[in-house]
Amino acid sequence: MATVPLVEKPPAPAVEPPTPNSRKSIRSYWRLYAAISPFYLLFLAFGLIPVGFSLYLSFHRWDGLGSMQYAGLSQYKYLLSDTDFWSSIGNTIIIWALATFPMIFLAMVTAVMLNSAVRFKKIYRFAFFLPNVTSVVAVAIIFGSVFSTNFGLVNALLQAVGLDQVAWLNTPWGIKVAIATLMTWQWTGYNAIIFLAGLQTIPGELYEAARVDGAGPIQTFFRITLPMMRPVLLFVLVISTVTGLQSFSEPQVLLQTTANESTFSGGPDHAGRTMVLYFFQQTFDNNDFGYGAAVAWGIFLVVVIFSIINWRLVQRRGED
Amino acid sequence: MRLSRRGLLRAGLAGTAATALGGLATGCAVPTGSTGRNMVLWYWSGGLSDTVVKKAKARYDSSVDLDAIQIGGYYRSKLITTMTGQAHIPDIAGLKGEDMASYLPNADQFIDLRTLGAEKLKSQYLDWKWQQAVAPDGSLIGFPIDVGPVVQYYQPAVYEKAGLAHEPDDVSSEMNTWDKFFAAGEQLKKRIPGTYILTDVGSVFEMSIGQGTTRYVNRDKHFIGDGEHVRVCWDRAVEAKRRGIVSDLVTGTPDSISATEKGRLPSQLNASWAAGDLKLQYPKTKGRWRVANCPGGPSNVGGSFLAITKACREPEKAFEIITWLLNADNQAQGFVDAGLFPSTPASYDMKKLREPDPFFGDQITMDVYGPAAEKIPVAFNSPFDVALGQPIKDEIKNVGVLGKDPKKAWRDAMSKCRRIADHLGVSH
Repeated sequence: MATVPLVEKPPAPAVEPPTPNSRKSIRSYWRLYAAISPFYLLFLAFGLIPVGFSLYLSFHRWDGLGSMQYAGLSQYKYLLSDTDFWSSIGNTIIIWALATFPMIFLAMVTAVMLNSAVRFKKIYRFAFFLPNVTSVVAVAIIFGSVFSTNFGLVNALLQAVGLDQVAWLNTPWGIKVAIATLMTWQWTGYNAIIFLAGLQTIPGELYEAARVDGAGPIQTFFRITLPMMRPVLLFVLVISTVTGLQSFSEPQVLLQTTANESTFSGGPDHAGRTMVLYFFQQTFDNNDFGYGAAVAWGIFLVVVIFSIINWRLVQRRGED
Repeated sequence: MRLSRRGLLRAGLAGTAATALGGLATGCAVPTGSTGRNMVLWYWSGGLSDTVVKKAKARYDSSVDLDAIQIGGYYRSKLITTMTGQAHIPDIAGLKGEDMASYLPNADQFIDLRTLGAEKLKSQYLDWKWQQAVAPDGSLIGFPIDVGPVVQYYQPAVYEKAGLAHEPDDVSSEMNTWDKFFAAGEQLKKRIPGTYILTDVGSVFEMSIGQGTTRYVNRDKHFIGDGEHVRVCWDRAVEAKRRGIVSDLVTGTPDSISATEKGRLPSQLNASWAAGDLKLQYPKTKGRWRVANCPGGPSNVGGSFLAITKACREPEKAFEIITWLLNADNQAQGFVDAGLFPSTPASYDMKKLREPDPFFGDQITMDVYGPAAEKIPVAFNSPFDVALGQPIKDEIKNVGVLGKDPKKAWRDAMSKCRRIADHLGVSH
């Protein structure tokens, strides 16, 4: 496998090489450039400049109001040795994994069922999509009740089947499971709709041929549906990674307790403190804007690493 | 004129360009502060009495348009963003008590209220509160709005059933120390199983810290969180856990709310403003609460200030407005409207603050709040207290909730504090 180049050389561009009068043609296209400029201007003001400034900030100490002091690489050095940051990466990945894999499974099952539904198709689709457009804050408050120790729905179910109560929001694993369940609930419907779109692109002849050859529904699913859905599956995985690595509101609202306390601490033993939550705590609780910027770039690097992993997966599939 | 597609495009583009250029041109002339007759005041919902603000608007109408804006969301970050951006800075800004220490190193962004004659009014305000707004260079950057004296809210019926003191005066005197309070907790648990005097250990630790005059970092930027004064509070919280008088619930969760309603958590140590939360959260328990002194002595949580920013064009006028907004009469109104406990002792004797409160069984709560507010110690708050207090608070929570070994928890807290101190340039 290692002999296969990772990136194929792009085919030679079909456009002609620039000629001396290309400069002139840019000038004659100014209207078109002006027409697309709003996006670039807005991106410059609200995207590129803040990104650049945060990089600049990460080499300084700043309390957000006074003067900045140059700090060299010290913020990054501290970041590497900061066990809290590393544990927040661990928390994020664990919560992401606990949320994403059940979610993909459930979404796939839901999509297959939706695809074969005969009546009320539109109502079902709407109902499954609804959690995704509900405010995270409202959902987190409800999940706080669902996972509460003495009166929660989850513990009531556990007791109904003869199991012991679990103090979900008071134990490190309980917190992670609660956050992951919330994310699963919120994203299953969205991904089911995407899967459904994928399912509908699979040509019916394939299924007909399978039926003629005597394949059962399970065989059909694993031999036809799943392989055909691979690109969609990867897309869903990428989207879930991007959103999962940035989880913030879910733990923040689920674990906030009283007004006297920091809302970014992530519960007992910091079990629910994700990377973005840690970034907020450093920046807005401790007023350590320089270090906050360094943490943000740390998060960026983690996301880049995950993106590279995803991208390699996609590439390899493409070569099959 | 015939409208061609090209002409329409051209006109549209020209219009867009003109708007953009216009925007740029005005962009260069964004005013630092307010404009015209406006006097902009930033505060948050419930930060000032609406009645008083409305009256102030009418009162100063002849000279300025007082534009009082309630800022939602994360107030502090919005204020410092605006101040750093040097555009549309409010003339008068509310500063929250818990953020005060972090504004002090940047006292040069605010007008020193001493230059406007604040010293003359000093005697009318609580001294410890006044001192919280004094920057290291001696300048005064904030004018006191409210304070938050900590008291014990409790349900007398439950205490009576457990054979404990239950009249406010008796509770105040018979549970005046932490030790007696813990003993009462043990009796409560023995007589009514499943009932706890404390919801979590964090409140014991934090109220104990608040009862002292030193916190985590001193004036010389030296970490003192490993000192005896913090250790005593820590040990006290650990003892509460050891004696089994702490519930395993988290404050504010549905579990704790239901337990409180049922009288399983009959006591809360919290600031004066928590009375409003009690009334909102437990409307069914009206009349079943009383207020007594907090064990171990008075302390403060919360309470805020009004400041005049450097961008203010008329500091004298602004000062006149804030001193009027915050005089003893209007602070009394603030308590009635928004539960803002006055920082002006003269308000405590006013009739409207001495009304019996039906939620607290017609108790005159001012008899408890007032003396507590006056006896709060003057403490030094460092801008680094938040960062260096958090690891200790986190670890005491781990002891309380997860049953972590207290010795290990203390060691972990201290090693984390030393690491953070190094990073922040605080000596240890």
